[in-house]
Amino acid sequence: MKDDVVVASLRARAKPWTRGNRFEDFAVGRAFRHHWGRTLTAADNVLFTTLTLHYNPLYTNLDYARANGFADLVVCPLLLFNTVFGMSVEDLSEGGGPFLGVDDLAYHRPVLVGETVYAESEVVARRETGSRPGFGIVTWHTRGTDADGAPVLDYKRTNLVRKRT
Amino acid sequence: MRQATARTSIDNYFEDFEPGEVIAHARGKTVTEMDNVLLTNMVMNTADGHFNEHRMQQQSRGIAGFDTRIVYGGISFSMVIGLAAQDTGEQVLEERGMDKIRLRAPVHHGDTLYAFTEVLEKTDSNRSDAGIVRFRHYGINQHDKLVYEGERTVLMRRRTIQTTSS
Repeated sequence: MKDDVVVASLRARAKPWTRGNRFEDFAVGRAFRHHWGRTLTAADNVLFTTLTLHYNPLYTNLDYARANGFADLVVCPLLLFNTVFGMSVEDLSEGGGPFLGVDDLAYHRPVLVGETVYAESEVVARRETGSRPGFGIVTWHTRGTDADGAPVLDYKRTNLVRKRT
Repeated sequence: MRQATARTSIDNYFEDFEPGEVIAHARGKTVTEMDNVLLTNMVMNTADGHFNEHRMQQQSRGIAGFDTRIVYGGISFSMVIGLAAQDTGEQVLEERGMDKIRLRAPVHHGDTLYAFTEVLEKTDSNRSDAGIVRFRHYGINQHDKLVYEGERTVLMRRRTIQTTSS
């Protein structure tokens, strides 16, 4: 078969395996246990900290972290936030719509390199908006937990979310 | 330990900040495709509007600024806080939280970010060697357009340990 015939056949036969939810899927109170979990490595931490210019040596100097009473490098809290957020995206916001803001974010304790974090969310509010046709506004409460299930951070996030119709 | 001491600035301790002051931070950063795609993928943010240029061009639906990849907002505001971090984070012992974070405008590859900080509040903590500072950080782009604002609360080292509980 010619390559263009193969591609045409794929286009004709393939069933889309879609990802993400839409505005209508977010009934208030609906809960999500997000996928995967993530071990935060020293490589992640140093790359994130250096590329974002976050010059606190707790995140990049083990000698300094130990001198301040930590057993290992501290995970840059913004890396922790972004990783928990990242794992929540498929369930919450991959369906489309801009990220508007975050409120009430609390870090519950410092997380050290080598720890594994998980993410879960609950829909706390959903409303219509006149500002953009075809979208609504959804707010979720997201929690990041450690391997024992204890919270390491939580926050409320608000997005414009695309409607199905 | 001996080597680790005295390797940070001398002018960014708890005592050095006054509520009401506004700081313009020294450096800017041009957010590159490398920054956005690398960090977005590293934190496993699966929204391909941050890493699929073809789809963004095909499916923009006419929304201004959304016809090309958008820098993931968590990366752009981490960059703004990073630009403020040597001044307002080098002596931080614990980040405590963030609030009222608002992403005002999309950021694209090639945009340059600058950071400003307003000192909102200082309070004592339960530690004699550190106090709590609440900042509001702002990020603007190369066109002086506000792209980010948000509060951040930190536990910051004091230069001098408090001997009385005032």
